[in-house]
This record gives sequence, C-alpha cells and structure tokens, in this order.
Amino acid sequence: MSAYTEAVTIKLGIAILLALGYWITAATGKFSFGHAAFMGIGAYAASILTVKFDWSLETSILIAGLAGAIAGAFVGWISLRLSILYLAIITFAFAEIVKILLESWDYVGGASGLFGMRGTTVPLVAVCIGIVIVYLFLLTRSRKGLSYEAIREDEQAARACGLGVTRISVEAFAVSAAITGVAGALSAHETLIITPSQFGAAQSLLIILFVVLGGVQYFWGAIVGAVVLTMLPIWFDFLEEYYQITYGLLFVVLMILRPQGIIGRGTARRFDLDALKRLVPGRTGGDRDD
Amino acid sequence: MRSNGSFLGAPVAIVMTDRTLRARNITKQFDGVTALAEVTLEVERGSIHGIVGPNGAGKTTLLNVMSGFLPPTEGAVELNGRDVTRLTPQKRVPLGLTRTFQNLRLFGGLTVRENVLLGQHSRARTGFLSLWPFPTAGDRELDREADHALGIFGLTEYRKRRAATLPYGLQKQVEIARAISAKPKLLLMDEPAAGMTGQERVELVPRIRALRDEGITVVIVEHDMDVIASVCDVVTVLNFGRVLIEGSPAEALASDEVRTAYLGT
Repeated sequence: MSAYTEAVTIKLGIAILLALGYWITAATGKFSFGHAAFMGIGAYAASILTVKFDWSLETSILIAGLAGAIAGAFVGWISLRLSILYLAIITFAFAEIVKILLESWDYVGGASGLFGMRGTTVPLVAVCIGIVIVYLFLLTRSRKGLSYEAIREDEQAARACGLGVTRISVEAFAVSAAITGVAGALSAHETLIITPSQFGAAQSLLIILFVVLGGVQYFWGAIVGAVVLTMLPIWFDFLEEYYQITYGLLFVVLMILRPQGIIGRGTARRFDLDALKRLVPGRTGGDRDD
Repeated sequence: MRSNGSFLGAPVAIVMTDRTLRARNITKQFDGVTALAEVTLEVERGSIHGIVGPNGAGKTTLLNVMSGFLPPTEGAVELNGRDVTRLTPQKRVPLGLTRTFQNLRLFGGLTVRENVLLGQHSRARTGFLSLWPFPTAGDRELDREADHALGIFGLTEYRKRRAATLPYGLQKQVEIARAISAKPKLLLMDEPAAGMTGQERVELVPRIRALRDEGITVVIVEHDMDVIASVCDVVTVLNFGRVLIEGSPAEALASDEVRTAYLGT
C-alpha cells in the first residue's frame, strides 16, 4: 500500500468512526453541535499519554474513549433533560469552551499545538471500526436499540411505555462521545500534530453532515455519508478552487431530493422530484386534486 | 420452628381499602386558570370507572395528573396505597399504571410488533447485557407474549407494517395492545372510541370488559355515552374542574345536574 493510499484509507476510516459514533446519538433523535469537542478530548487525552508518558497507543486509545464517555455523560446529563434547542446551544458552547481551555493550556502547547504523535495504522483503525460495527449490529437488533428508536419517534409515548427517556439519551450520548474520542485519538496519531482549532465548529459540522447526508435510519447510512463526504473532495480535486461550490451544490440538491439521506425510507418515491416543483414560486408542486 | 399462626405472627388487621388508585383533592392550575379544583377520585379495584363531562371539564387533565404527565398544583395521587404524586410517568409503569392517549401516540415509524415490544419495556432486559444475541428463556417468553397480544387484538397480519400506515381504528388497537403489554393493574384510556367507526365502537365494549376480566382496572375518559353506559360500573361526572356527581351510569347520566351541564338548560 502506497503512503498516499494508506493516508486516504486512514482518513476514510476515521471519518467512518466519527459518523458511526455520531449516529448513536442521532438514533435517539438528539443532535449534538459540538461533537468535535469529544474528538479533541480523545485526541489530547491519548496524545498526552503517548507523548508525555510513553504509554502504548492501544491503551491510550482506550483511555481516550473513556475520557470521551465521561465528558459525553456530563454534557448529556446537563443538556438532554432540556429541549432540543438547549442541547444544540449547550453542545456548541461546550465545544468552544474545550477549544479555549486547550488553547490556554501550556502543558499541551496551547494554540500552537502538541506534536510527536504517530502510530495509527490501517489495521488499528479497521479493528476499531470492526468493534463499533459489531456493537451497532447487536444494538440495532436489541431492545436497547429499539428504545433508542422509540425516543426518536415520540418521547411522550416512550415515557408512557416506561422508558426513562433522559437516562437512555444520556447513555447513548456517552457511548457516542466515547467512539468519537477514540476517533480523535486515532486521528491525532495520524496527523502528527494537533491544535485546538482542528476541533472547532467546522469539524463538528462535518460530523453532522456525514450522518445527515447518509441518513439517520440505518447505521450503515452514516458509513455511506462518511465515505461520500471524504472521497468527494479527493475525486473533485480536478475542479480545483471550484470543488467546494460543487460540493455544496450537490449537498443542497440531494437534501431537497432525499431529505431522509442517501440511505433510508422516507417518501414513497426514490427521489422526491415534487420537492423541486415546490421550489418554483407560484406553483403548488406535489398537491393534486384527487 | 417458625411462629406461623402464633399470636405474635398474626397479621395486623388492616382496613382493606381495595382502591387501585386514589386521587385526593387534586387541584391543577395553568397560569391562574383552574383546570381542576379539589377533585377526589377513588377507583375501585376490578372496576371500569368512567370519567365524563363537557369539553374543558378537566377530564384529560385529571388523566394526565393520574398518569404523571402533569404534576398537580395541590393534592396527591396514590397507586395501590403508595404515594406516587412525585413520580414520573415512566416510574409509574412498573408500579402497574399505563395509559393510552386521546389522539394516539404510537411510534409511527416502527412496526406494529415493535410498538408492542416497547410496551413490555419495564418488564424486559434492556441493559447492555441484552445486546448479547442469544435470547434467554425470559426474552423468548416476552416475545411469545407480544405475539399473543397481537393475536388478541387482531393485529397478527399487520405485525410487520409500520404503525402509521394502519387505519385509525387499528392504530387504536395497537395503542391498547402496547399499553397492556406492561401488564398493568390499572389502565387509563383517554377517549378510546374517538375516531372509531360505528362497528369498531361496538367491538370496543367487549374488549374493555375482557381487559377487566383479565384483572385490569380500567379508567376511561369518553365522550361516547353509549360506550360509557354499556361498559362502566361507576361514572364520575366532571364540570368546570369539579366533580359534579358520581354513581352508576344510570344514576349519573340521568341526573338533573348532568343534563344541565351538558344541555345548559
């Protein structure tokens, strides 16, 4: 495997891991706007352990997952009992706070970053993805997975069925943050240097887009979203400075045609062409008299 | 040797209340508007207890207070002798209280069977260990029970359909099937007949009786007086957030106060 192929494969693998991690909280209908913070927490936790304490990468990755879980449980616990709007604000603010704290922490190099990490390999990323996929495979076939879907569908009905909505959401959020932390650790040991600014709003948004583009219904939709959004910039490289416009345009068109994402059931049609008609002023596209 | 039957071991005489649910002096205010004013409702075990009244009388509010979806401003709710006033709805389910909703609250995107499985949530294993793909005997028993419930409610052929795609009457059946899957001692039904066809209403009455015969106490808020009259043992009439009268359907519905409340004459 050439160095280039290896780099792309690892980048792709980390994107998949981020998407799968985010999917778990999205499955309960809870969207975080600051998941990059958990990625950053995992990245810094693991990097401190490997660089400053000479721990093995594998152990450090586990600790990164644990750190992500603890941070996720904390953020989830304060925000998930509130409305979905508070969740958005609190997760966003949390990510900014984490970024600022890291920037002012000299021990990890402040804004100029921490460096010297290495060791992420394709097999290591593959093992992490494998474990997460097995977990999700079992989850989506279990009553626990069903309770996640129930909360996404209707929280009041879920409460009437005896589901502890807050507890279940916080648990899903913590597991989601743990996987995101692991992805952060792997990413840090691939890019060699980490700075707090890497874990800002742009990264959070990218993680959301993986899942929104792929579709929330099935976890492999998140994989598709991650692959597409990671490979598009590479495939569209020949467009040079126009690629971001093309990329954005493709996204908008897809969201209009398939609001449920690439994967997933939504409207009866494969592509909702009536949605395009609704965009034209003065016409009521999909409405029919019968 | 155990002192079974000895003087000291004799059970203390308890006055058997035999009330499944007691709502005592419930007052509920919304921004100064009093929806319920010192309402006391006692539901006898094994009975079918109707709550009727004109629109805005506070029927659904009372149901929401009893099921824990609304905290009362004042008053207390007791379930099987235990004060549950401060408990959330989900904590009342394992204590034997479930409910249905006025305008249906199904998990529309999930299948009919999944809805029923979720009804069993409080009795099922749902921790991380439940991810282990090999079901225990208990898991299998619950699955069988869910299929049995689907059969009773005539839903077997729809079990794999998404709940939202079913006709309204069948969706109501799904909701009842889901509610009884928690094995409740008390089922609160908010307008079960609303939106049903005439035929479905006729079928509803024996179905509610069957629930009672299974040992479930039923509280039913309903507008359809035929359903109330044919199924209820006791009827409480609410008007403007107060109890107007309580008695057998014949007494309560024929009383002058009720005629006045409904007809305004």
